[in-house]
Amino acid sequence: MRPIWVLAVNTYKEVIRDRILYALLLFAILLIGLSLALGQLSFAEQARISANFGLSAIHLSAVVLAIFVGSNLVSKEIEKKTILTILVRPISRLQFILGKALGLGLLILTMILGLAVVLTLIFLGLGLSVNVRLGLVLLGLLAEAMVLLGFTLVFSMFTKPLLVVCFSVGLFLIGHWQSSLSFFAQKSQGGILVPVSWLVSTFLPNLERLNWKSLVIYDVPLDGYAKMLSLTYAFSWFAVCVVLATLLFKRKDVG
Amino acid sequence: MNLLQVSGLTKSYKKGFIPRRTLVLRGLDFSVPAGKVTGFLGANGAGKTTTMRCVLGLDYADSGEVLFFGQPLAVETKKRIGFLPERPYFYEHLTGIEFLEFYANLSASWNKSVLRDKIGQLLKRVDLDFAKDRLLRNYSKGMLQKIGLAQALIHDPEIVILDEPMSGLDPDGRLALAEIIQETAKRGTAVFFSSHLMHDTERLCERLVVIKGGTCLYEGTTEALLDRSGVDFEIIYLVGGQKQSRRISSQDDVQSSLREILSAGATVLEVRRHRLSLEEIFVRMALRSGGVA
Repeated sequence: MRPIWVLAVNTYKEVIRDRILYALLLFAILLIGLSLALGQLSFAEQARISANFGLSAIHLSAVVLAIFVGSNLVSKEIEKKTILTILVRPISRLQFILGKALGLGLLILTMILGLAVVLTLIFLGLGLSVNVRLGLVLLGLLAEAMVLLGFTLVFSMFTKPLLVVCFSVGLFLIGHWQSSLSFFAQKSQGGILVPVSWLVSTFLPNLERLNWKSLVIYDVPLDGYAKMLSLTYAFSWFAVCVVLATLLFKRKDVG
Repeated sequence: MNLLQVSGLTKSYKKGFIPRRTLVLRGLDFSVPAGKVTGFLGANGAGKTTTMRCVLGLDYADSGEVLFFGQPLAVETKKRIGFLPERPYFYEHLTGIEFLEFYANLSASWNKSVLRDKIGQLLKRVDLDFAKDRLLRNYSKGMLQKIGLAQALIHDPEIVILDEPMSGLDPDGRLALAEIIQETAKRGTAVFFSSHLMHDTERLCERLVVIKGGTCLYEGTTEALLDRSGVDFEIIYLVGGQKQSRRISSQDDVQSSLREILSAGATVLEVRRHRLSLEEIFVRMALRSGGVA
């Protein structure tokens, strides 16, 4: 466990000392701030629009961090050859992958929490209640980011960072449009959409299962058991991805 | 006792748009004994770096056996090995102290104050105490090479593998690094380092492994190679008031050359015996085996 933690802390430090993170943070804070302005455009729905826009800003930031930093997480180590001095230490390739993923996961968590503080202040300013529901929504966002990070790690084992980003963004879009795809497949009465929809829903994660924004925005009833199942679903996808990435990484010459 | 034993190491890579297999190592055999500095010589492309990467499990060999301390390489075995790659790139966001802490903690669990003392001593030993709080992105190439060596030594390994540690350094930097390597060997750590800088290798290494085209051309002591490869003779003589010299590569020709010079009326001033330098021997070995080593 120690080498995983040591690697995670180093990964965390590496990204947190990078200017790109602060540019992303600034962008996210501006978006959250913009949610206030957008909310004022509506007479009746100001709080709802601000909440939706603010949560979407946090969502987007977490996804961008997972995909863009995740795509370089291992390939940068190989390209810069820093991996050579790491893998000759008493550390397995699985521990290396886990350490890198944990480090970025902690960073995504830090960013979500930081932006959540800004959003909470806005909520309080708008007279909205801040409760456990907001925490659950943020947990869902973190879980989604970790699933995307897992897939990004798998993609980065066999292709270049630019393509990794393309694949991961594609996965993000498909992951959120699965229900629409199934709907169109049902309506299409045969044709290619039916098998495509089956393949997508069987082999790719349904990220909408982790989108719990309506808990805060529309105040829908909270189903704790369903949320627990969705978190298990996300963790399972992440675990499968880590195993797959490790299997691919174990076959790779890194020199 | 051999700390590292390599037998029949073979490695090929697929290269090109339509992948073609290129054989880099062809059944390489050699060993690295305890407590000695062993040089690993070969020209660019001879397979030195590939050998080191295969030995350390960074690249996978097609066939062959690598034994560290009599056992195949495993996570536990790695605690006893240190490595500095060629042209090392390190985490630029870390300071000198953070960098060494990171590698030390990856290798073992430490008491904080013990580790702090250890890092302090090591930084003094590699003469980087003044830059301990500086980010690595502000280090010069020589400083990076030194801190790289420090990370390879932080966990007190029994064997240190260094890939071209002197390359790209100025004479002062090479001298400093050579001193650290010598001191490391004196402390009982086996050092195995690759280089194409013959002068430094001759000065530092008790043993040599010379490779060419992925096979071993020579393995043994530096002395034995220098002795085995013979000597040159130089006859210095005076003819018509002018000092001249003649170089002879075989001892058998010395007498006949002397007779020839004397019969021409010259005065022999001196006969000098030159031992070939490692560089000359290396070039001769390479030519004898067809091409450059």
